[in-house]
Amino acid sequence: MPIKLLFQMSVRNILRHRRRNGMMLAAVVVAVAAVVMMNSLIRGMQQDMADAAVENLVGHVKVLAPGYRDDPGIQKNFELASDWRPPDGVPEVAGWAMRVRVPAVIMSERGTRGIQFVGVNPQQEGISFLSSAHMTGESLKDASDGRIIIGQALAEQLETGLGRRLVIITQGADGLNREAGFRIAGLYDADGEGMEKFFVFTGVGALQKMVGADVFTELSIRLHQEPALFVLKETLVELFTGLEVLDWRELEPQAAAMFIFADAAVLIWFFVMMGALVFGLVNTLVTSVMERIRELGMLRAVGMRPRSVVAQVVIESSVLMLIGVAAGIAGGLAGILAMGDGLDLSAWSEGVQSFGMRTLLRPVPLADDVLLIAFLSLGLGVVASLYPAWRAIKIKPLEALRR
Amino acid sequence: MSGVSNGVVVDCAGVSRTYQEDAVPVHALRSVDFEFSRGDFVSLSGPSGSGKSTLLNLIGGLDRADAGTISVDGVVVDGLSESELSDMRLHKIGFVFQSYNLIPVLSAQENVEFIMQLQGVAPAERAERAVETLASLGIGELAHRRPGELSGGQQQRVAIARAIVTHPVLLLADEPSANLDSATTEELLKLLRRLNDDRGISILTATHDPMVMGYAKRRVVLRDGAIVEDSAN
Amino acid sequence: MAEISAEIPTSRRSAGLPASVLAIAWRNLWRNPRRTWLMAGSIGFAIWMLSFSFALQKGAFDVMTDNGAQLWIGHAQIQHPDFEDEPLLENVIADVPHLRRAVEALDGVLTAAPRAEAAALVSAGERSFGALAVGVEAAAEAQWSGLAGAVAAGRYLDGPGQAFVGAAMARNLGISVGDELVMLGTAKEGGVAAAVAEVAGVFSTGSAALDRSLALIPIADFRSAWNLAPDEAHRLVVVVDDVGEALDTAQAAAGAAAPWRVLDWQALMPEIKQFIDLKLAGLYFLFAIIAIIVTFSVVNAFLMTLFERTAEFGMLKAIGMRPGSILGQLQCEALLLWVLGVLLGVGVALGLVLWLEAVGMPMPIDPNEVMPGLNMPDRIHPSMGWGVASVACLTLLAGTQLALLVPAVRLRRLNCVEALRTQE
Repeated sequence: MPIKLLFQMSVRNILRHRRRNGMMLAAVVVAVAAVVMMNSLIRGMQQDMADAAVENLVGHVKVLAPGYRDDPGIQKNFELASDWRPPDGVPEVAGWAMRVRVPAVIMSERGTRGIQFVGVNPQQEGISFLSSAHMTGESLKDASDGRIIIGQALAEQLETGLGRRLVIITQGADGLNREAGFRIAGLYDADGEGMEKFFVFTGVGALQKMVGADVFTELSIRLHQEPALFVLKETLVELFTGLEVLDWRELEPQAAAMFIFADAAVLIWFFVMMGALVFGLVNTLVTSVMERIRELGMLRAVGMRPRSVVAQVVIESSVLMLIGVAAGIAGGLAGILAMGDGLDLSAWSEGVQSFGMRTLLRPVPLADDVLLIAFLSLGLGVVASLYPAWRAIKIKPLEALRR
Repeated sequence: MSGVSNGVVVDCAGVSRTYQEDAVPVHALRSVDFEFSRGDFVSLSGPSGSGKSTLLNLIGGLDRADAGTISVDGVVVDGLSESELSDMRLHKIGFVFQSYNLIPVLSAQENVEFIMQLQGVAPAERAERAVETLASLGIGELAHRRPGELSGGQQQRVAIARAIVTHPVLLLADEPSANLDSATTEELLKLLRRLNDDRGISILTATHDPMVMGYAKRRVVLRDGAIVEDSAN
Repeated sequence: MAEISAEIPTSRRSAGLPASVLAIAWRNLWRNPRRTWLMAGSIGFAIWMLSFSFALQKGAFDVMTDNGAQLWIGHAQIQHPDFEDEPLLENVIADVPHLRRAVEALDGVLTAAPRAEAAALVSAGERSFGALAVGVEAAAEAQWSGLAGAVAAGRYLDGPGQAFVGAAMARNLGISVGDELVMLGTAKEGGVAAAVAEVAGVFSTGSAALDRSLALIPIADFRSAWNLAPDEAHRLVVVVDDVGEALDTAQAAAGAAAPWRVLDWQALMPEIKQFIDLKLAGLYFLFAIIAIIVTFSVVNAFLMTLFERTAEFGMLKAIGMRPGSILGQLQCEALLLWVLGVLLGVGVALGLVLWLEAVGMPMPIDPNEVMPGLNMPDRIHPSMGWGVASVACLTLLAGTQLALLVPAVRLRRLNCVEALRTQE
């Protein structure tokens, strides 16, 4: 039987019961739209965590001295020319930063806190959160600026403010403790309080002078596009023999693992939704077959092959799903548009931030995901039509006509 | 008893009914006058579209006339609300349909009891009356079978039992023999005639089956929405 | 022949439902067993989905909160009103022994232990790190604190002049059991606080934050170094029998008039509480969508039923049954369908939960790698959430009954003459 005729008959059968098939379509649309929206939110969450991990002084790739991760301190350092730049062959480099990062204790007359003391070159920090964080007071002028920038939350804890002096104690390159006073140039306001309490910045030159060594503890490189990461890593491994070259997934296993979780969550959502849908779909299709017992029996009697009967039911289901999926994706995208800038999760801010997410959850629809959802849904349509199709070919022409 | 001393059960005066079929008005009944006395057995006949079913439906309160007045058992039905019409059908009229229309999930006896349940008859009385009625129609031993397990003639007897068990003023039968063979039809008609003769049940039937017309006492023929013949058998 | 009245008798029960309506509904359901099973299946699926996934989550949450509380935080804490927001050294609670006796005298309180704490610079030899120095009462803590049991080397505190530090800190400082360390900080009313202690033991909890930053010393040593009075502390940590009533119990102990603040584990670990809430919000959204889908399916099924039984409904209407009564009949059918769905859904969920409760469900990824701070076990033992299961059941009861609105409208408009004609 020509496929065109089968297709025509299927479409007309759908149109024959508009209310019923309309209701079924509505269910498909709701399910697909919800999956598309949820999927984009999960992707948004994922990207958020990756961005936060990358911005959080990590970068896409970091070069560290061996042992620094276990025992972060000035002893685990490496030398690098201050005008070092990545080799020209590496694509998509957004920027790089050479830093000294050491554990330290900061003291005001009101309190004492453990912190990470980071020496930076402000001109290079376009790649980290430091450049985008809201700043009260002044930023650091250059690499030799001997003032400090501390987080808003830390300033409150230490009951200190702009222009005041704080004492910082850290270990020098010779293993002896160094103590020095620093004036506060600015207060930064980061997305999470955790960061504000954790990082204190100064000029990298000033910190090198304090610890007494013209060295760095980390080189962080950020890319425009994540896919270039592999090339970059290869190049750096060759360049820095004897040093550790790690990407953000290795540096932030928590964020990387959440990535895998999110990938799984996308599929779980899909299958749960479709699980709910499939009962109604099978019911609709079986009913449509059972109502047409006489008709199908007649078609069999005049010589329609079982194969064509199966094809008719499968096509009917597929057409139904195709329309539903198209409308569902449109609905889902409309829902995403309606979310505008994103969902405000500030009611859960601490819980959200402890996962390295922002409080504003932006939906990120990915074409690949939408296509996957579409194909899986159509596949489900075919699978759901198998039982009704089997039921249809079981119809015996004579019996059906006698009804 | 009140208000119906003259024995008129149905009185139709100037009844018209027009349907819109694809925007074309179809005059199913044109100003029909019709009277039906207690204890009568009338057959309405005529070709398809003559208006016999329409007249039956109007008298049964299933449809409303566009003009004219219909009164059943002294009550003018024109102004009744939907629920008043429901009650009228429930208490005054017994219906026998062409396709029997028994409730498939209920046994014969339960089908007969069902209508009394709607009326609020007490369970013991219900069962007693149902058994008695089924027995009087010769299908007492089939009381516990479901419609699917009964032949067409048997199902139609159950339907008649359901229609008369409530002692209606009027039994309406729309093409009662359409799905039956002639032997079964004959049995059914004998039964209806016996009910009419022995118990005085008033029967109005729409039919195109000459055999049915032969058993009726009075024969009314319609054509194009008007009564063209009205004669006693 | 019975007497016939010219009045139309409107019997009181004529609009009501016959007594056997449930029986009829039940038989009607089995006129199309396939459809009934499909619909009960979809209702059951929705109930199962919510009950079971909630049970899984609850299993994980219980462990998270319990571990969080049992490890270090406790079920509730009594603090200076400002201490939680401003953990300053001078924000102490006074007269602690008296308060402690009052708390421990309460029903359901297992123990109450005082703690004092301050940020400190911990040094060993030439290395120094920022840390949180905590003075604890070793004997009381050892009774319940998971931290006291997480000994990686050496032993827990059992005498003065000792310290119990995290494994990461020990590694960073390059120290091991028996070594000496120095803690430096700012004492109460200014001045330098200094304490020297010998490392009695090293703990490893799996929580990076605790292992890196905590250094425990006896509270008496802390008080003398940081210049606190012997009856002063920063937290009185309360451990109770029933976690659900932790706050009430502690609140009762502290008394309404006292200048103290009582925080339960939810307030002390807001990130866990919020994480749970966020997860639940997602779960409820998922369920809402599924409930909508299932309701659509049920509407559809009833529309089909109506379509197939048009003649029957027409007959019922013709013999005098009111549309409301016919709808009542359908409502009974929907109710029975729902009951079947509930039995299926709750049954399957309960079976799975009971089985997993016994054997435990392995996690796809080792959660401690993902969320070290939350201390998740690698197996989850779910427990049935009856509250959520009832929410799911009631939502779907509403859904299945609402699903009848569409057929109800059609039923009211049903013309019996046409309806009866559909079968010819």
